[in-house]
Amino acid sequence: MLVAACVKLVDLRPQVDRVSGAVTPSATPGCSAADRAAVELALTLADSWSASSAVVCCGPAAADPVLREFAASGAGRLVRLDVDGAPDSSIVGRLLAGVLGDLGADVVVCGDYSTDRGSGSVPAWVADGLGAAQALGLVQVRSEGVGSLRATRRLDGGRRERLVVDAPCVVSVEGSLAELRRAPLAAALAARDLPIEVVDAPGVVVPAPLATRPWVPPTRVQPAPTGSAALERVVELTGALVERTPPRTVELPPRQAAELILEQLRTWGYLDADDSTPGGTAAT
Amino acid sequence: MSASSYPEISFEARMATVEFRIDEDRAHITVDDTICRDCSTRGCITACPANLFVPTAAGGILFNYEQCFECGTCYLVCNREGAITWTYPEGGHGVVFHRS
Amino acid sequence: MSDFDVVVVGAGPAGSAAAIELARAGRSVCLLERGPSPGSKNMYGGVVYGRILDTLVPAWWEQVPVQRWVTRRSTMLIHDEQALTVDFRNPGWGAAPFNGATTFRPDFDAWLAGVAVDAGAVLVCSTTATGLIREGGRVVGVRTDRPDGDLRAPVVIACDGVNSFLAKEAGMYPHTGAENFTVGVKETIALPREVIDERFAVRGDEGVDIEILGCTGDVPGGGFVYTNATSVAVGLVLSLPALAAGPDRPEELLRRLKAHPAVAPLVEGGEVLEYSAHVIPEAGYRMMPELVGDGILVAGDAAAMCLAAGIWLEGVNFAIGSGAAAGRAATRALARGDASAAGLAAYREMLESGFVLADHRRLRDAPHLVMGDLAQRGLPAVACGVMEDLFTVRNPEPKQGVRRIVRNRMRRNGIRVRDAVREGLRAVRTFG
Ligand SMILES: Cc1cc2nc3c(=O)[nH]c(=O)nc-3n(C[C@H](O)[C@H](O)[C@H](O)COP(=O)(O)OP(=O)(O)OC[C@H]3O[C@@H](n4cnc5c(N)ncnc54)[C@H](O)[C@@H]3O)c2cc1C
Ligand code: SF4
Ligand code: SF4
Repeated sequence: MLVAACVKLVDLRPQVDRVSGAVTPSATPGCSAADRAAVELALTLADSWSASSAVVCCGPAAADPVLREFAASGAGRLVRLDVDGAPDSSIVGRLLAGVLGDLGADVVVCGDYSTDRGSGSVPAWVADGLGAAQALGLVQVRSEGVGSLRATRRLDGGRRERLVVDAPCVVSVEGSLAELRRAPLAAALAARDLPIEVVDAPGVVVPAPLATRPWVPPTRVQPAPTGSAALERVVELTGALVERTPPRTVELPPRQAAELILEQLRTWGYLDADDSTPGGTAAT
Repeated sequence: MSASSYPEISFEARMATVEFRIDEDRAHITVDDTICRDCSTRGCITACPANLFVPTAAGGILFNYEQCFECGTCYLVCNREGAITWTYPEGGHGVVFHRS
Repeated sequence: MSDFDVVVVGAGPAGSAAAIELARAGRSVCLLERGPSPGSKNMYGGVVYGRILDTLVPAWWEQVPVQRWVTRRSTMLIHDEQALTVDFRNPGWGAAPFNGATTFRPDFDAWLAGVAVDAGAVLVCSTTATGLIREGGRVVGVRTDRPDGDLRAPVVIACDGVNSFLAKEAGMYPHTGAENFTVGVKETIALPREVIDERFAVRGDEGVDIEILGCTGDVPGGGFVYTNATSVAVGLVLSLPALAAGPDRPEELLRRLKAHPAVAPLVEGGEVLEYSAHVIPEAGYRMMPELVGDGILVAGDAAAMCLAAGIWLEGVNFAIGSGAAAGRAATRALARGDASAAGLAAYREMLESGFVLADHRRLRDAPHLVMGDLAQRGLPAVACGVMEDLFTVRNPEPKQGVRRIVRNRMRRNGIRVRDAVREGLRAVRTFG
C-alpha cells in the first residue's frame, strides 16, 4: 500500500499592487497550507496503515528544498516531475497520474487548490487519469481501516457531507485539516542533501502566463435618454419605472429544479429549444 | 505618481503589512493579568510596537501573542516579576520580515 | 559524543561570520536559525558597512545583494518645524571598495549564511535553541525545539542577538535593565526609483543615509531615513524607559517624524511595504556581558557589540568582526583540544586588538552623551535658533554678531555656558 501526496511550489507572498493590480513575485517559494496538510494526512495514513509514503511535485528544481523538508518529516520517496512554468491543470493532472500510476499509489492526497489562482481541478484530473474515486475539498478525514477513509466535506450554506471513500482514490483537503509535523533534528540534518527522483516531462506545452490587468467592469453602449426634463432622463437611465418580470423564487426537488432552470435558459435563448447542452450549437 | 496617493495608514493596516506565521498551538508570550492589576507603571501599553497590550476595564491587561515582532521590549520594560513569560515561538513560526 | 565541533546559534551576521571561519578551517559546524530562513527575524536601519568583509569574502561587493551604495550622508538636527542639516557627499564611496550599502536584512543575512554553507557549514533553519546542555558547569551543546533536538559540541557560539537567552542562561549577561536598550521601529515605503533619485538628488545606484536628532519628542532617541532601490526606510530609535513612561506610542512618534516639513517631502506618497521593530543594545561597552565561558563564546548583539552612538548606528560590521573572531578563537581552541574558558580566551584578545573593542572602549560614553538632554534638546534648539537669527534679515535693524546670537539662544533654551562647555569637552574626549 502506498499513500502519496501531491504538492505544488507556489509563491507564498506575491506583492499585488492595490492600485494597478500588477503582481510582483516574491523570493518566498513554498507549499500552501493545504498542500502541507495533504502531506501530513498522507504521513498519518501511511503510519496507521503501516504503508509507505511518497511526495510528488510537478514543478521546477526550486521545489527540491521544500520536498526535502517533507522527507525530514517522514515522507518515504520524493519525486519531482521536471516542469518549468505553469501548464494547464489538465496536463498537470495527467502527468501526475502517470507518475502516481508508475509508483503504484493507492491513496493520493492533494491540497484543495493552489494559492496562485488555482481552480482545484488538478486532483480531479489525477483521479480521472488513475481511474480512481475522488473526494475533494475535505475538512476532516479519518481512517476506517486500511485503504478506507471516512471524510467530511464542506457544502454550501454551512452544511457538511459525509463520505466513505475506498482505495484507489484521490482526495483533496483544506489547509485547516492538519498541520505538518515537525521534523526531528537528526532527520532535518539528514534530509539536507537527500536525492530527489526527477522524472522528465518532455513535450509539455507551457502556455505563456496570462497578462494581468486590474479588473474593469465591461462597458455597454447605452442610448442617450430622450426625456426633456432632467428628472425624466434620470428615471429613464435608472430604469426605475420600466416594467419587468419580477424575480421568482421556487422550491422544488432537484430534478424538477434542474428542468425548470433548463426551461428558463431556453426561454432566454441560451439553449436551443431541442437541446439540453449549453452553448446552443453543440448539436453540430 | 502624485505625492498623496497613499495616505497615512491605520494601525491595523500597518500591522497587515507584516507576515506572521502564527503557531496556533502555543502562545510564545503569556501575561499574568492578576499581576498586572497591581501595576502602576504599565509601560508595556505604550512601548509595545505592535500594540498588543490592551488595558481592560477591570484594570488588567488583555494580551494576544499573534502579531508580535518578538522584539523583547515588553519584558525589558516590565518590572513586575512573573507578569510576562517570554519565549521565542517554535522555530519557523512567528514574524517573518521581507523588506527590513 | 559530539554531533559537531561547534554549534553556532543564530544565522545573523555574527553567526554566519563565525561559521565561515570555522568551516574554512575544516571544522564541522552547525549554524542554527529559528527563522524559516536567515534574516527573516531581523530588521535594522538600513546600512551595512562592508569593509569588514574584505578578508572574509574578497570582492564581496560583486556578490552582496545591494539596494544602493551610500554616497551621501547627512546629519539633521530638528527643532520644532526647523531643521539644520550637515550634508556630506562623497562619490568615491560609490565605487570599489565602497563604504556603506543599503540592503534588506532578509537578503543580506541569507547571502552571508549562503557563503557559510558554501564553505561547508550545516545550516538548519526553523529551529530555536531553547537552552544550553551543561556538564559539570561546562557548556557541551544546546537543546532545540525539534523532536530529539539536542545538539552536542565542545564549543557553542551564542550569536542569538540582543535578547540572547543563551548568554543569560550561562550567567554571562548581567546588564538587562531597560535603560540599556532602545527599540527601533521603521516603515519601508515604496517609491519609484526616479522619484527617489529626484527627491534625494542621487543617480543610478547612489544612495543616501540621513541620521536625525531632536525628532523624538519627550523620548530620547533619534531618527533615520535611508534610500533603497525602489523604497525608502524611515524609522526611529527610542529609549525604552522613556517610551514606557508614555504617553506617546512609537507609531505616533514615527507619524510625527514623517510629517515634519524637512522629512515629509522625502518620504510622503508611497505605499507602506512593511512595518518592523527590533530592540538594540544601546549602552555598548558599559553593558557588555562576559564574552568567554567554559565551552561558550558570545558575539554580536548577544554581546551588546552594536555601536549605537548618535551619528553612528553600526552593528552588522561589529557583529561580523566579533563573530569571525569567535570562529577563529574556537578553531584555535579545538586544535589545542582545550575548549575551556582559558582555551577560548584568545577571543577577547582578538577583539581588544581589533576595531571591535577599541571602538567600543573609546566611545563608551557616547551613548550616554547622545541620549542626554543637551544633545537631545539643547543642541537642536540652539543650532536651529542660531541659524534662524543668522539668516533672518531684519533690516533696518543691523545684523548681530554670531557670538551674541549663540549666547542669546543658549540663554533662551536654559543652557548654561558652564554645562555646555563641560558636555562639549566630554564629547571631544569621547569622539575626538
Ligand atoms: C532599528 C535598528 C537600526 C539599525 N541600523 C543599523 C545600521 O544601519 N547599520 C548597522 O550596521 N547596524 C544597524 N543596526 C544594528 C544591527 O542590526 C545589529 O547590530 C546586528 O544585526 C547584530 O547582528 P547579530 O548577528 O549579532 O544579531 P542578529 O542580527 O540579531 O541575529 C541573531 C540571529 O539569531 C537568531 N536567533 C536568536 N535566538 C535564537 C535561538 N534561540 N535559536 C536559534 N536562532 C536564534 C535570530 O533569528 C537572528 O537571525 C540596527 C539595529 C536596529 C534594531
Ligand atoms: S505586563 Fe508588566 S508593565 Fe505591563 S501592566 Fe503587566 S506588570 Fe505592568
Ligand atoms: S516582544 Fe515586542 S512586539 Fe512582542 S509583545 Fe513584546 S513588545 Fe510587543
